[in-house]
Amino acid sequence: MKAKVLIANRGEIAIRIATACEDLGHDFIMIYTDADKDSEHVRRYADGSGKEQKVWRISSYTDPNEILSIADHTSCTAIHPGYGFFSEDYRFARRVTIRDRPLIFIGPKWEVIRDLGDKINTKKVANELGIPTIPGTSAPIYNEMEAESVAAKLLNEQLEQGITEPSILVKAAAGGGGMGIEEVRRIEQFRRTYREVKNYAKRQFGDGGVLIETCLRDYNHLEVQLLCSQHGEQLHFGTRNCTIQSTGRQKRLEAAPGFDDSCFDYAFDSKEVLAQVIDYSLKLAAHVHYDNVGTWEWIVARNGQPYLLEVNTRIQVENDVSARISFYKNKQPNLLREQIRVALGEKIGYSQRKVVFKGACIEFRIVAEDTSRDFAPWIGKITRFEFPKHDWSAVYTQVPSDRTYDIPSDFDPNLALALVWGDSIAQAKERGRAFLKEVSIQGETSSGEPMMTNLQYLNDNIERLLTF
Amino acid sequence: MSQHDTVNYEAVLSKFREDPFTYVDIHAMHTGQIRFHVHEGDQVEGLTGDFRHIKGTLLCELTRERNQKPIHCTTKGEVSFVNKDLDGKFVQAGEKIMTIRHPLKKREIIEQILRKVLVPFAAPEKAKYYFAMDIQSRIEKFGQRSVSVKAGDELFTMSLMKRDTPVFYAGESGLIHSVYFKQGQSMEQGEPLVGICPPEKIAVVEKVITRVKAEWE
Repeated sequence: MKAKVLIANRGEIAIRIATACEDLGHDFIMIYTDADKDSEHVRRYADGSGKEQKVWRISSYTDPNEILSIADHTSCTAIHPGYGFFSEDYRFARRVTIRDRPLIFIGPKWEVIRDLGDKINTKKVANELGIPTIPGTSAPIYNEMEAESVAAKLLNEQLEQGITEPSILVKAAAGGGGMGIEEVRRIEQFRRTYREVKNYAKRQFGDGGVLIETCLRDYNHLEVQLLCSQHGEQLHFGTRNCTIQSTGRQKRLEAAPGFDDSCFDYAFDSKEVLAQVIDYSLKLAAHVHYDNVGTWEWIVARNGQPYLLEVNTRIQVENDVSARISFYKNKQPNLLREQIRVALGEKIGYSQRKVVFKGACIEFRIVAEDTSRDFAPWIGKITRFEFPKHDWSAVYTQVPSDRTYDIPSDFDPNLALALVWGDSIAQAKERGRAFLKEVSIQGETSSGEPMMTNLQYLNDNIERLLTF
Repeated sequence: MSQHDTVNYEAVLSKFREDPFTYVDIHAMHTGQIRFHVHEGDQVEGLTGDFRHIKGTLLCELTRERNQKPIHCTTKGEVSFVNKDLDGKFVQAGEKIMTIRHPLKKREIIEQILRKVLVPFAAPEKAKYYFAMDIQSRIEKFGQRSVSVKAGDELFTMSLMKRDTPVFYAGESGLIHSVYFKQGQSMEQGEPLVGICPPEKIAVVEKVITRVKAEWE
């Protein structure tokens, strides 16, 4: 079945989806806002007009009325949300699929997005299946006395485990993205913090519910990449490590596999723990009848105890990191192609034992930012952007290489994703350093000040950042 | 004496007398199918009512996925141009659809002249701007022209690439006389956000206002 896919996203992911559509023989439509008019995702496909017009301007990437009206006007049969924007919005997925002219939503069923998008519900379902989650409340608390009692219990449990500086996190239940989270180390501090978070939650989210969890200090943040189909097939493409994101810095670097014994002297059997988080992830996926790509996020304490954090019911920025260490018939799979195939109703068509894992991969996010000034975003015009091409690297970017490009101020200052892979993490690191040295980015602000990126920072800190 | 005291009122006013209009282009704010409700030459109204609560003339409607988005006129005037070819067609956001010729009022002429007199504070980056919380609450309580700022005051929150950064005022102390931006709207680098009136320029501002009120019909 030939599909026509409306790509409801921007930048590098829009280009990757378009390429995947072309590879599979499907047609596609791009959208863009005025801020993105110079982006490669627009310029590359902007030639057509009339019925051949592939690129449509909209007022916002988050206006469902416009997106659906373009889908209808251009006779699209499916919508790919990419990541961010509508990718985990079950209402949008439901609206796409339940209407007079139903479209295929390239993602999981809307019911699955709804159920797993709710962290509290995910925790409840996981606990029912015996999957460990971070100790704490499994439902929002609205009562101060009850909250204090839970807090005291969690702090005492940590003391009993020999943790000398126990702490808990008080979170706005309706929050997200790190907003409305405070740490408490002593029970005497609790009431004041509880009231602050509750008031903040009421103001910001309209719901004063609060969650309380044990605060883990030293841990690894892992991701398990799954691919499931509507025919009950479930496959994994290994694990990734994104600990840097979880310890205060923006996500700039990610690696696969999730643990590598050459990076750290683990106090546990790392292979066993990786196998355990994969098994748990597949168990939950099977239970909810998951039917597309998804990422299961885990926290692994220094003693090797894993805790399920959340499920991302979408394709992730870093999906290719997993794909580059996975081989089917000696080829690295393309997870965007696989995602489109299964969303259109195809079977995956191969089993887990056909997927062979080999080597290691690192993804660098090349960002316009001032690393010496708290990673403040840099804005200006890029006049030159060149990167090396190797058979062990890939670059995904919306920055054109044949003309100047004004970085839009409406979005993240991400310029490119660069992936390097090798037979081992040591080789991947070495290639990463060589690759970063060969990248050339030049530009300036309107007042003539030179461009700033995190290239040097990444190069200087590979070893430290990859000590996980 | 300030250089602004030497404003050539006669020249400025005669320029406005020659063409006492401003031309407001209307663009499609969304992508969708458009239906016009006005023709060239029609007189249109902007927001009216004691609380500016009555919508202006319905200019056109955009239909997006069976949801109709009426576009009302926000300024009084005459329709001087309609892109009739687009009627009934599917238009893209940002496409120019019509032009309104708006007769300038005294207040607007005063505002335009004052742009040359007041001390502008320009957008440091292309970004979205909001008044700082303290300034905003003072504006709400006392009105903008009662709010004074001095160098070092946190004047704006700049929202750039999903990060909020405080912007501190640097310039002559004075009252916030004019506001040239809408909160949350993307502003180009260098565009003035506010016009500040230092104490020594109050007399010039009053002179401009008196002169325009007296001489403009």
